[in-house]
Amino acid sequence: MGLGERPGLPVMPAGEGEASFLTTRLDEVVNWARRSSLWPMPFGTACCAIEMMATFATKYDMARFGMERMSFSPRQADLLICAGRVAYKMAPVLRKIWDQMPQPKWSISMGACASSGGVFDAYSMVQGIDTIIPVDVYVPGCPPRPEGLIYGIMMIHEKIRGEALKNPALRAEDPARVGLPNLPAEVVAEITTPFGNSTNQNKLSGLVSRGAVARPTDRHP
Amino acid sequence: MVDKELKDAVAGLESGPQATPAAAEAPPGAAADAATHPSVAALRARFGAAVQHHTVMSGDEHVVYVAAAQSAELLRWLKEDAGERYDLLKDVTCVDYGGGRPLEVVYELWSIPNRRQLRVKVTLPLDELVIDSVQPIWRTADWHEREAYDLFGVHFRGHPDLRRIMMPEDYAEGHPLRKDFPLRGRFSRAEQTRRALAQAWEDAYTPQELSVVEHEPQLGRPAADDAARTHAEASGALNPDALPARPNEADDFSLGTSGSAAGGRQGGQL
Repeated sequence: MGLGERPGLPVMPAGEGEASFLTTRLDEVVNWARRSSLWPMPFGTACCAIEMMATFATKYDMARFGMERMSFSPRQADLLICAGRVAYKMAPVLRKIWDQMPQPKWSISMGACASSGGVFDAYSMVQGIDTIIPVDVYVPGCPPRPEGLIYGIMMIHEKIRGEALKNPALRAEDPARVGLPNLPAEVVAEITTPFGNSTNQNKLSGLVSRGAVARPTDRHP
Repeated sequence: MVDKELKDAVAGLESGPQATPAAAEAPPGAAADAATHPSVAALRARFGAAVQHHTVMSGDEHVVYVAAAQSAELLRWLKEDAGERYDLLKDVTCVDYGGGRPLEVVYELWSIPNRRQLRVKVTLPLDELVIDSVQPIWRTADWHEREAYDLFGVHFRGHPDLRRIMMPEDYAEGHPLRKDFPLRGRFSRAEQTRRALAQAWEDAYTPQELSVVEHEPQLGRPAADDAARTHAEASGALNPDALPARPNEADDFSLGTSGSAAGGRQGGQL
């Protein structure tokens, strides 16, 4: 989409012998540049990464959106796509990659496992990467089709479109939070409350899992 | 005769598969049991009571249970005896049947020269999970035994480097594949998240392990240098002064921080 097609951007037509020019807001230009040339940092750990590869390959062709190249260095990337489950052993790696990415940066949690732990409600698995890093867009699916990932990237585009350079909270980053969990302990405990039918294991082990027997409506009274 | 077989077969297409009379009479696995595994017979003759019992699984998979005290000696004999030569150790693993029953250590052996399979099992009571390591016998047992130690808590006596291999180095919740281990671990998710991000994984590895060059020397120096060193070692005339210095020796302990700044590693940068 060209600049001129956006409503609210007055374009002065060039008159006879005059220099042409246009006026716009700085936000519009900066956001247009940012969203039109995202460099993704692929963090592919499982089958979602296969769909991500399909998305970036010829048929779906993310180059159409200015994502010409996967950036395999976090220092030259501004969009982290976490595609697949993340083990606790991998958590510091994900956090370090996120901390190494320069601002401005966004992140997509692709698939059920990255977003919530998915079927892996087990001892070794991070229950949603939002406990580790901030997440802008969650793409549901197991795995999501390339259309799903593209839709998520379009949502990132929309999010970037609405950003304002003057918003001080937007790009704020606390150096003291580097390498630490993204959420406070009590929030992690709440959002990872067990659900589903995997309670037999806990019965065998003598643990009482209150969250597993509660109805979903009981979780937020 | 052939005509009759063909006729029966065509007629059988309508009625579907039928059990033959012979198969109905013989109990499953009887044929394999009758032809006793030659290695099991040899083990019984040599080790006597240490060979506890022998069963056949899935038709032709021979399983022999042996005493823990003599397992390493017995396995070494299986590898080195001229008639056995089980030179391929396919797997070392454990089974926990739960309910306080003893844990089983499983050795999956294959003899390439004799094309013969043998599964050796050792039962260990839960209060004494100690067994001799077979790493000196088969080098491949190194990581398999580390895995069994990590996930089941079996201590392999004599293993040169028995530490966790899959779970984080500072994992404090126990051994996850044991039946008494809760599915979601022993700590809360918040605590697990905190500990995961607090792990100093750089500290768990030696500088050599973090360096590709150190482990794959051929990446770091010219082939001629390698050949000279190997020849000198083989002929017993290794004189460190006479050989060219290895370029990455000097900065062994700065690799973790200085990274590619060390000039000697340039050849190994991938």
